[in-house]
Amino acid sequence: MLRSWAQALRQAVQSITRSGLMSLASLATVSVSLLVLAVVACVAVNLNLMARELESQLEIRAFLRDGVNPAARQALIEQIQALEGVRSVTFISKEEGLAMMRERLGEQRWILEELEENPLPDSLKIELADPHQVVAVAEKVAAFPQVEKVRYGQGVAEKLLAVTRAIRIAGLAMVLLLMVATVFTLANTIRLAVEARRREIAIMKLVGATDWFIRRPFVMAGILLGMVGAALAAGLVYMGYQYLVRFLVTNLPFVPVAPPAELMQPLGSGLLALGALLGMVGSWISLRRYLRV
Amino acid sequence: MVRFVNVTKIYPGQTKPSLQGINLEIDRGEFVFIVGPSGAGKSTLTRLIYREELPTSGQVWVGGINVAKLKRSQVPYFRRTLGVVFQDFKLLPDRTVFENVAFALEVTDASRREILRRVPAALELVGMRDKANQRAQELSGGEQQRVAVARAIVRNPSLVIADEPTGNLDPENAWQIMRLLLNINQMGTTVIVATHAREMVDALRKRVVALENGTIVRDEERGVYGYA
Ligand SMILES: Nc1ncnc2c1ncn2[C@@H]1O[C@H](COP(=O)(O)OP(=O)(O)OP(=O)(O)O)[C@@H](O)[C@H]1O
Ligand SMILES: [Mg+2]
Repeated sequence: MLRSWAQALRQAVQSITRSGLMSLASLATVSVSLLVLAVVACVAVNLNLMARELESQLEIRAFLRDGVNPAARQALIEQIQALEGVRSVTFISKEEGLAMMRERLGEQRWILEELEENPLPDSLKIELADPHQVVAVAEKVAAFPQVEKVRYGQGVAEKLLAVTRAIRIAGLAMVLLLMVATVFTLANTIRLAVEARRREIAIMKLVGATDWFIRRPFVMAGILLGMVGAALAAGLVYMGYQYLVRFLVTNLPFVPVAPPAELMQPLGSGLLALGALLGMVGSWISLRRYLRV
Repeated sequence: MVRFVNVTKIYPGQTKPSLQGINLEIDRGEFVFIVGPSGAGKSTLTRLIYREELPTSGQVWVGGINVAKLKRSQVPYFRRTLGVVFQDFKLLPDRTVFENVAFALEVTDASRREILRRVPAALELVGMRDKANQRAQELSGGEQQRVAVARAIVRNPSLVIADEPTGNLDPENAWQIMRLLLNINQMGTTVIVATHAREMVDALRKRVVALENGTIVRDEERGVYGYA
């Protein structure tokens, strides 16, 4: 049993190396499509990171009516805390609010000097566990009688969420598309190898080889090709990404990037597994026709 | 061993049947010639036996198995019980004689030891042992067919089917192959040979089944070729 697997592996290597230049070309094609796939995956991961960063900045400010006493306020905070999608509720007194505003205004804080009394109401800062619920939570908060008004970047928040959603869908679609393309490249390569051994396959069938026996070396060749292509792609992406991150960190430090080590470990093993899987699927597809004898 | 019950075969896209109303019974240990003019349906009949084709209607039984009832996944195991020899040898040209014969055992996941035991014995029988390491493409037609016969018998089948095994050979080589098939038959294997080789059929006086236009027109013990 083990011997026949070893034999199938040897045949797989043979069938790849025998068609030397052709295999090299297809290896390059597989590497390139996996490379593009990896790049898209990197971009997608980082866009997702950015999207999450943006989303996490979404928060709700609820301004309270005048004269809500501390006990009622505490009750309100607890009620809001209990709402779905809320992470934390922080009370910001009118004094704190003014201090924050002063801070924000910086050089122009003289505007506030003119004021005789603090114009700001007390407020609550509501941070969200799930940014997608911002509108729903804001509406519920606004419905409390103690609340005068809520602000959550109306309009902007919805747009931001729509954009991050589009980014995620586009990334996923690209990845899927490239996977299909890679499968077809692999299938085509294996098909050529199969074509070259058509006669042999027909004879194998006549002497009683099972489909699986006939498939085995080709499926292995597909897996091998997929994995070697993936390894090449992973190597290139790793080098490229490290370089890019170094550039970004020094030149655009405010852009959030996934650290190379953290991203590349799963990406590398993911690519290898994907290469193997796509190679298997590809060779399976390309053999189906030839086994109908 | 082989039984045809009212078998009709119409190839897809054809209207005229290639075989029609065939009833035939071949017993274990028999040696049978199938003869008839070109296009009579000899090859079709052999293909039905090793299940390269399925009957359009009727039944084909081989060794107690209704061939049409075999599942796709069972076909390989069924074929392993048969040996088949073709006019064009169907060897792998870039493999050695040994490898070509071993091939029939490898597909069954036979052990190395079994391969090393059986292949030389089969090559010995067909007189090709000394050329075991030559590539098939370097052999003469007669030698190639002997290798094909060795491949057909290496698994000890109880039935060997040969479709014009001597069609591409000169008379001397043809006789050698035919003698091999007779030897195999004497060892107890059922042998069915579709052929155009009038001299051999007439000289050997075995059972002859004659086909014309897809039907059996003659079935004689100790028969002759019977066509001009
Ligand atoms: N695969 C096929 N598809 C369609 N028709 C076929 C096919 N194989 C054979 N036929 C037809 O079936 C009939 C019988 O063919 P078959 O090959 O069985 O004859 P044969 O007796 O072996 O002839 P020959 O002596 O020339 O080998 C012929 O009319 C042929 O055209
Ligand atoms: Mg024929």
